[in-house]
Amino acid sequence: MSMIQFDQVTKSYPGGIEAIKNLSFRVNKGEMVFLAGHSGAGKSTLLKLIAGIERATTGNVLVNGQNVSALRAAQLPYLRQHIGLVFQDHKILFDRSVFENVMLPLDIIGFDRKESVKRVRAALDKVGLLKREKANPIGLSGGEQQRLCIARAVVHRPAILLADEPTGNLDRAYSLDIMELFRSFNQVGVTVVVSAHDEILMADYGQRIIRLAHGQFAT
Amino acid sequence: MNHLLYLHARAARQAALTLLRQPLGSLLSLLMLALALSLPLGLYLTVQSLANWGSRLATTPQITLFMEAAADSTDLQATAQTLKQHALVAHSQFVPRDEALKALMARNKLEGLTEGLGENPLPDAFVITPKDMPPEALERLHKELSGLTMVESAQFDAGWAKKLFSLIQLGQQLTVVLACVFGGALVLITFNTIRLQVLARRDEIEVSKLIGATNSFIRRPFMYYALYQGALAALLAWAGSMWLIAMANPAIAELARLYNEGAALRPLSLSEGGLLLLVAGVLTTLGARLATGQLLRQMEAD
Repeated sequence: MSMIQFDQVTKSYPGGIEAIKNLSFRVNKGEMVFLAGHSGAGKSTLLKLIAGIERATTGNVLVNGQNVSALRAAQLPYLRQHIGLVFQDHKILFDRSVFENVMLPLDIIGFDRKESVKRVRAALDKVGLLKREKANPIGLSGGEQQRLCIARAVVHRPAILLADEPTGNLDRAYSLDIMELFRSFNQVGVTVVVSAHDEILMADYGQRIIRLAHGQFAT
Repeated sequence: MNHLLYLHARAARQAALTLLRQPLGSLLSLLMLALALSLPLGLYLTVQSLANWGSRLATTPQITLFMEAAADSTDLQATAQTLKQHALVAHSQFVPRDEALKALMARNKLEGLTEGLGENPLPDAFVITPKDMPPEALERLHKELSGLTMVESAQFDAGWAKKLFSLIQLGQQLTVVLACVFGGALVLITFNTIRLQVLARRDEIEVSKLIGATNSFIRRPFMYYALYQGALAALLAWAGSMWLIAMANPAIAELARLYNEGAALRPLSLSEGGLLLLVAGVLTTLGARLATGQLLRQMEAD
């Protein structure tokens, strides 16, 4: 059963730039897929289309059977509550502690406070930041901020985890750690899509790799 | 349902924390709101007190018929009969001239006056309470009664009552206009306050939206904040009006005593206070709803 399905999807921006051109593919439930390609190949756009941050110009994007391109704006939040997003630029809030940052998705869904605290601690423990829970994220290193972002993306146990260049600015050892984290989420049943431009990193894992160039499959 | 209640409780708590965490900013906008409420409120209370006092004086106007000195008991009886059967007269009371003199002397402590006067100078009189009617009809009744046979004159001081009534009416209209203007101000002040708050938390709102926050989730704390401010401002204005009344009433009572009247500004009743709270809360929440709506649309367009 497919979790994510693209049917002849094109995304063009004003000015006629086509970020994605007539792309069709599927990602099965529980699968882990890598997105490879140079910057500008359309990796970020593809991930944004899945999360409904961007809408397809033509074609359909189906997520768990739902047609994302046809969703009303008011329905998008409920789609996103089932998706974990790891952003290239982290999007961490520096006006609150590490703990409060990870708490945010649970607040949005409206989790019971006690249960939330347990989950936040579990997520922070998983990424190795439990000891920093009271710290302000401004004091975290780049790698730590990335892991904080991952903790926030998985704390509500989403069905899908999307990560946009999570290893972009990290050294190899650190990158391997992060990839290992994604694999462990995948092992408990989460569908994972990770984009990166470093294919050597992906090769180690033996997962399917979707290669993009100029918005199309690279040949 | 429970879930929604839980989300509301959380937003209400968050709004309360915001209020307490920014005491100065909250206080300033609170004072602004309270001022905007105080002006129409003060005018309302003044006009209401005046209307109350005026109606006590003038809603049951009386017409006094003074009979001619030559009127004998048959004339008096005929007049009494006419008044009794008159459709517009609710009640009439005959005041014989002797009694009128006695009452006059008793009221003014003028014992021994009769000796000086020799004869009772007062005429027989009827005190008439007309039925409820507009001032113009009262005027017509007054004219009709003065035309009765053997009636010397009919006294009815309607002029000042009419002036008072039109003044009160003007005051009431002014209150409505002022209430509308300052109600609008309430919405605008809150709109501005909430707009600044939303802009200050733009990053948080953008991230929240990316990870699945609905617009109502984002709006809720701001709307609760506005509601608190509105309610607090209403309470402040209410308390302020009570303080002003307490300050002003001794002077008003003093002034009224000079005219042999008891007059006082009345405070807001409990139900009026409740209404004030409700209206202030609704208007400020409306301001917050408009501000968040506008900014969320703007963010979606970006």
